[in-house]
Amino acid sequence: MIMLHTLLQANPIEGFFFGSGKSMVVGGVAVIIILGLGLWMWRMEVRIQRLDEAVTRQANGSNESTTA
Amino acid sequence: MSALSHIRFLLNHAIRVELRNRHGIAGLLVFAVAAVYTCYQATGTHAEKESWNALAWVVLLFAGFNAVSKPWADDDEGVRSFLLHTVKPQHWLLARMVYYMLLLGTVSTVTFVAFLLFLGMDHLDGWKAVHYYAGVILTSTALASLLAMIQALASRAGGGFSLIAVLGLPLIIPVILVSTRYGSDLMRGIEFGDTAHHLLFLATLSAGFSALGYILFPYLWRD
Amino acid sequence: MRMIQRSWKIGGIALLAYVLWTTFTVPLGPGLLEFRELEFRERNEAAFSAANTNRIETYELIGLGTHWTVQPEELRLFIRKGDQIAPLPVIDVIDDTHAQVALLLPDTLPSQAWDVLINHPVDGTLFLQNGLFVSGFVVDESARLPRPQFEERIADLPHHFPFQPRIFETIRNLMLHVPMWFTMFLLMGIAFVASIRQLSQKAGGSSLFDLRAEASVQVGMMFGVLGLLTGSLWARYTWGAWWVDDPQLNGALVTVLVYAGYLILRGSVEDERLKARLAAVYNLFAFVILMILLMVLPRFTESLHPGKGGNPGFNSYDLDSSLRAVFYPAVLGWMLLGTWMYRIRLQATQLNRKLHRLNE
Repeated sequence: MIMLHTLLQANPIEGFFFGSGKSMVVGGVAVIIILGLGLWMWRMEVRIQRLDEAVTRQANGSNESTTA
Repeated sequence: MSALSHIRFLLNHAIRVELRNRHGIAGLLVFAVAAVYTCYQATGTHAEKESWNALAWVVLLFAGFNAVSKPWADDDEGVRSFLLHTVKPQHWLLARMVYYMLLLGTVSTVTFVAFLLFLGMDHLDGWKAVHYYAGVILTSTALASLLAMIQALASRAGGGFSLIAVLGLPLIIPVILVSTRYGSDLMRGIEFGDTAHHLLFLATLSAGFSALGYILFPYLWRD
Repeated sequence: MRMIQRSWKIGGIALLAYVLWTTFTVPLGPGLLEFRELEFRERNEAAFSAANTNRIETYELIGLGTHWTVQPEELRLFIRKGDQIAPLPVIDVIDDTHAQVALLLPDTLPSQAWDVLINHPVDGTLFLQNGLFVSGFVVDESARLPRPQFEERIADLPHHFPFQPRIFETIRNLMLHVPMWFTMFLLMGIAFVASIRQLSQKAGGSSLFDLRAEASVQVGMMFGVLGLLTGSLWARYTWGAWWVDDPQLNGALVTVLVYAGYLILRGSVEDERLKARLAAVYNLFAFVILMILLMVLPRFTESLHPGKGGNPGFNSYDLDSSLRAVFYPAVLGWMLLGTWMYRIRLQATQLNRKLHRLNE
């Protein structure tokens, strides 16, 4: 009987999740989060690459100045 | 000198160094017996099967770990660079493994006998105790073959006991999983033949640990 | 060239956006929850004792997400054992998910435990395994029931995920939980290869491969922890506990602990070259042992996990097409994201080293 009770509790969840359109909100939030993560990673990568180039240039520059 | 005599020489050397300061091994045995006695005080001679099994493996594991994790007697850079030019690293690792097997075998035998004496043999009568003992010995073999490598790694990294625990314990969990299950199978009265595959698995694990150590140890050892 | 380099990253994110959207918005298909005797049944003792051939009891059938008020007269119910099938008359359809059925059966039955099946034009054929257990009948295995007309119907529903007993809506977690482990193993595989190459260099080689191994283990650990968390939530719902004794879970825990040990080992060595070598040795040692364990250990004991027996939910990984359409993109998408994260992590550590050298 106890098991049956827990099983039947699935019903209101069903109505709550889909009937009220909340699933769309959850899905939308998840999509926005993943797009935000992608955007953030993209910018991060660009910044790291730029810094890397700057550092390499500086390292080469200092080498040249010491040899000169 | 042949490989075997190399190994025998290194092993003899290790044992002689160990026996030279007797308080080392005596300390291990006292630790083990004190742990068993603590269990006895807590449960008396009428421990349930499950608690008997759990306590036995906990004590055996930590006594064994304790034995292996103390630094190797001549574990310093000078000795290492001397040995580096005189023996093959694999021989050195094999000697160390055999030495650990002997040491762990001794410690776990003493622990197991103390356990039987103090906590009683209610659940392990006759052949069952022998079968259980076989599991104990194979477990300590697996521990020895794994920890020989881990101990070398940790001492190379300059970490102490905690590093051995951090690196070794996760890899030991499967061994413990199998041996506790084997022990509880025996105690629940399952026929030896139906649970002997656990022993086979322990032996396979020991062989795997040894083989991996044999392959990888030279990389660890060289400069 | 640059376009190709960019496109797989954009592709990975686009795949994950599609996966997450469908994961949460595709509805769950209908299924049967329970077939139970009605508690308020009135026993007509006179009719009960007088009936020599048939006993009549009222049972209630409970569904989840079913549509029985659409064409209620088309709802058909059968019980089945092996190749024996018997129809039961539907007395009343109360609402979309509740119906009353009369247990009208001959006195002699071939079995006590029966599967319950229903046919409905909207929901198609639905099963409830071992849904009916009858008592008070003569059980004779040689008894034969008259074989009725029964053919499976296909559901007339829009795209939906399959209903699984006990799992219900949490089947969506499949798209989050399982790919985490796949991605982790991909990253640990990258670390394994990097460690081999680190060790097979000639003496005095660079520690470039070691940096790769470190970055991929760091990212892989993150996926491993996420896999543990999503798995723990799922276990709480389906098996009733946050952690259960299961070889799969033990393996997962050992894996995460081993790689935590790897990162701690790196932290405790100062010398760059020694660190690279020790870490590579431990990584190879641990990875091979983990592979042995994950292959061998699950064969020793029963697992609760799908496809391993003893699992009440899925009996195997025979995902149906609606799940596959999301699951495969999910695996690919998470793997692409993991690889991308690993590359960024690697670039960041390399940049860090360059800056250090420059400052010295």
